[in-house]
Amino acid sequence: MRKYVIDATGMDEKELNRSIKEHAVKYDKLIITNPQSKHNIAAGVTGDVEIDIDGSAGYFVGTMIDGPKIRILHNAGWFAGDNMTKGEVIVEGGAGDGAGQGIYGGTVVVKGNAGSRTGEIMKGGTVIIGGNSGFMTGLLMMGGRLIVLGNVTDDAGESIMRGTIFVLGEVKSLGKNAKMEQSTLDDQEELKEVLTKYGFELTDIDYTNFKKITNKSHKSVLGGD
Amino acid sequence: MCGIAGVIYKDKKTHNVGESLTAMLESLQHRGPDSAGFAIYGGLNLPETNYQLNIELKNKPQLLNQVKTTLSQISPIYNEELIESVDNYNVFRCEIKLEKYSMLKPLIRNLDQIDDIRVINGSHSFEMIKDIGKVKDIAKRYNVPKRVGTHGIGHTRFATESGIDRYHAHPYQSYITPDITVVHNGQITNYWKIRDPLERKGHTFESLNDTECIVHYMADKLFQGYKLEEALEEAVKDLDGPFSILVGTPNGIGIAKDKLGLRPGVMAENDDVFAIASEEMSLQDVLDTDYVEQIAPGETRSYTI
Repeated sequence: MRKYVIDATGMDEKELNRSIKEHAVKYDKLIITNPQSKHNIAAGVTGDVEIDIDGSAGYFVGTMIDGPKIRILHNAGWFAGDNMTKGEVIVEGGAGDGAGQGIYGGTVVVKGNAGSRTGEIMKGGTVIIGGNSGFMTGLLMMGGRLIVLGNVTDDAGESIMRGTIFVLGEVKSLGKNAKMEQSTLDDQEELKEVLTKYGFELTDIDYTNFKKITNKSHKSVLGGD
Repeated sequence: MCGIAGVIYKDKKTHNVGESLTAMLESLQHRGPDSAGFAIYGGLNLPETNYQLNIELKNKPQLLNQVKTTLSQISPIYNEELIESVDNYNVFRCEIKLEKYSMLKPLIRNLDQIDDIRVINGSHSFEMIKDIGKVKDIAKRYNVPKRVGTHGIGHTRFATESGIDRYHAHPYQSYITPDITVVHNGQITNYWKIRDPLERKGHTFESLNDTECIVHYMADKLFQGYKLEEALEEAVKDLDGPFSILVGTPNGIGIAKDKLGLRPGVMAENDDVFAIASEEMSLQDVLDTDYVEQIAPGETRSYTI
């Protein structure tokens, strides 16, 4: 495997992203050291490159990527993986608001807790939160699957139109147009497959405890009910 | 956007708070280029009856003498310093002695009657530094990294609703109760609903700025006897709009986020330090920890010493 280390110290966002894109086509793996929570790291990168961010990333890490596998060794700010179409964004720590916002495909994994509006307006792909997820998780969701292993707070699935939210922990309240039922055996098999792939170890009983949040109506509920 | 930052040292001793806040705000510079400011508590060590004044004055002959003449009718002037600022303005900083705290606001009003001057603030237990421009330049202009204290709050401003000048730079201060400051990222949309009852109580406003409204609101709550955490919880209930507000008091700092969580706020702490900021990169300047907490919608957090 051909590896290349980019020391982000003193680089502005554009300079860092230029370097990432330049080296992503020549190497199999890039290691970004001293990322200092910079915003927009690896924005718009395409191809099969692996990118390890050795520290925390700021807002919009991995936004609009198509293909790369990005691993953030500490935390991520708001909107991790925003609008990505293919690839992976794995956050080893926690993430801010809007993790997986608007993704079309690929997978966003946050091993710790996530902030509010996780998976908002997502259209496809998978978002996995290993800890808790905040206010309006799955806001205006249009597709894909969102899996939360911890608790979700108020208004889960607010104005959800399509897609599925699976929650293992407690759901404080549901948003407009959201309904909740117990997961099916097929759901549990699907969950086991994807969670095992990303290193989450759950018991068989845990899988039976997943709740499933979907939409009541397929119509947009903007404007109230 | 605006960036907010606050830090408090748990051992109650003085530390290089100016240096810490400068680093934190430099990391948030991208959130606002217009002005920046600091409220650094616990390092002034003024005698009980003394206050520090910061007065903006145009670079005109005799203006400083006029200010000094007005001041000297009330108090001797100590430790005076003239700091050269930008746009042909200077900041006159001095110390005065007053028989009681209630004389401070009338004195400021009196000084503000003089053309081409404006009192930026008057304080006893904290040092206010705020000016137009980038954090780095302001910190150098006022030697902020050398300022010590127990805690402080700071701000870098992206102006949205009022002018770019020293007065409208954050922090804002209220005189309802001594030495309360606020920095703010956001907009208060029920401004008049908050302001009206405060004015009916006799509190006076100097501008139409929403941050001024928040600082009077917080000071009024604290004056009524609310603890900082309780006053922050009341703010979440009463204030509408997107906001993260960070409050400084003589013995603490605290944050409140709006009910929908539309403005950012993160915090981290260890055995020595409690810190709050708009973004994680700012926390990394004062704390070596991976555990960063997202302040949830409608949540408040505070630390007092």
